Amino acid sequence: MNNSNGIDSFVFGFLILGYVILIGYLGWRGWKKTQNSKDYLLAGRSVNPFVMAMSYGAAFISTSALVGFGGIAGQFGLGVLWLVFMNIAIGIFAAFVWFGKRTRQMGAILNAKTFPEFIGKRFRAPGLKILISLIIFVFVPLYSSVVLIGGARFVQEIMQIPYAWALTVFAFVVAVYVIFGGLKGIMYVDALMGTVMICGMLILLVSCYWRLGGIVPAHQALTDMAPLVKQHLPVEYALGHRGWTVMPEFNSVWWWTLVSSIMLGVGIGALAQPQLAVRFMTVKSGRELNRAVLVGGVFILLTVGSAYTVGALSNVFFYRTDLGIANNFQSLAIQAARGNPDLIIPIFIREALPGVVLYLFFLTMLSAAMSTLSSLFHVTGSSIGHDFFRTVTNARHDNLTVTRTGMIFGIILSIIFAMILPPGVVARGTAIFFGICAAAFLPAYFSALYWKGATKTGVWASIATGTVSSIIGLVFLHRKESAALGICQALFGKSELISTHPWPFVDPFIYSLPLAAVVLVAVSLFSEKLPKNHISRCFKRK
Amino acid sequence: MFGLGDISIAIAMLGSVAVTGVCLVYGIINWNKDDDSQGGKNE
Repeated sequence: MNNSNGIDSFVFGFLILGYVILIGYLGWRGWKKTQNSKDYLLAGRSVNPFVMAMSYGAAFISTSALVGFGGIAGQFGLGVLWLVFMNIAIGIFAAFVWFGKRTRQMGAILNAKTFPEFIGKRFRAPGLKILISLIIFVFVPLYSSVVLIGGARFVQEIMQIPYAWALTVFAFVVAVYVIFGGLKGIMYVDALMGTVMICGMLILLVSCYWRLGGIVPAHQALTDMAPLVKQHLPVEYALGHRGWTVMPEFNSVWWWTLVSSIMLGVGIGALAQPQLAVRFMTVKSGRELNRAVLVGGVFILLTVGSAYTVGALSNVFFYRTDLGIANNFQSLAIQAARGNPDLIIPIFIREALPGVVLYLFFLTMLSAAMSTLSSLFHVTGSSIGHDFFRTVTNARHDNLTVTRTGMIFGIILSIIFAMILPPGVVARGTAIFFGICAAAFLPAYFSALYWKGATKTGVWASIATGTVSSIIGLVFLHRKESAALGICQALFGKSELISTHPWPFVDPFIYSLPLAAVVLVAVSLFSEKLPKNHISRCFKRK
Repeated sequence: MFGLGDISIAIAMLGSVAVTGVCLVYGIINWNKDDDSQGGKNE
């Protein structure tokens, strides 16, 4: 049976089933090899660099990037390419070279198996481990919910099934293999998924450029459409949108969103993602990380670089009727997506790709979502099982039942959020999560690796400051969230406390991160230092 | 430049390719360096 886009539902379903069986098998093999908590949490500290880098990339790049930010590129243009630059320069190069190597070495010395444990042991503060694990447990479901949404929206448009069904099936498949696989199972499956993601995105990008006559003609076609913004998208024009191949108007609402939330918040926030940092501790030497830099950089360029470029170029296909794709729309991408940027990429994919390539691309999306979700559910479970429960009960061993229960709870919470969050939330939810992680964890993480003078009290103060100031910013200062939450309106009679431009549009990360860093330094200078022998041990070099 | 309407977009595009090149070069040059294997303790 074919649907209106030539998709054979039987073949499609068969392909999905085959893929799910394959990853189920790989996940099962990982589960069989999982003998202890080191295997479950760190894949035995013996993962090869290709697997590590592909797993890092696949966990890093999800449907929130491909569908969420790809949709933003469709709505607002190629300014989002600055995020690609940041993802590679900061999220790969700086992360692996300046954070990863020291994390791996120090993590092995401290015998740390998770990010909260790493910080807790480095600063000799079990309470820090508990605090970080609780922050992770509270905020990760938000991010995992938007990743779920990105994948479910794709399934919804491609298969033309209700959103609730797509969401439920997606979450179920991911949950099954992450609960039983542990990190070893996840990482090997991630490597397969990462390979699928690269192939799918490359095919898509090459197809688009080819149809538009090459790279320069394609860009020129998009540039020539700039006058249409004022004509057809008055709301976006008022926000600062001036065309898909130019930056937004300086100091406009969209300029601040692009620069503060997307470029800086997500770009720098990638350094402090607990589900990514733990992967640095999975390889056995710095040599593996050196090799992974090569793989990771190429991976990010080919996946998100392709997605954002295609998102912007989709406008040409949706608007023109002479290109043989999406001829029935004659509208701009955001109009074709009924005002929801999260639908731009799924609808374009459905219209643009022939059946076989569409199947491959569906697997790409499935891979992107599953790899990231598995890492998020895994870190949720480990934060409760290994970091919170074991510390609070002073148990000698991890309780895998508690870990898996924590995972299940995180999954359920993510599904609930995914059901109730409003449309068009994927990119915004991602930026919120990355911003909170950066403000809460980055100063502490950086000081753990580089500053021997950082104290336990200083780190406590920094994490608390970063977290609280981020929440205050979201609830009372950043209009997008403060208006939606309504708490500021209820208490003070206005949507945000400071209405003077540009403050309602400045991401809370911009002030929370520096504030947390200043607090860490100031408090550390006047609080009790850690024992010298402990510091020497942590910073020992081979 | 490249049919784009803004030099900063072109810089973003070229910069992304360039920094990927840096990752490639770094990985190739350091391919066999930093072999400081440390086994962690088992439970």
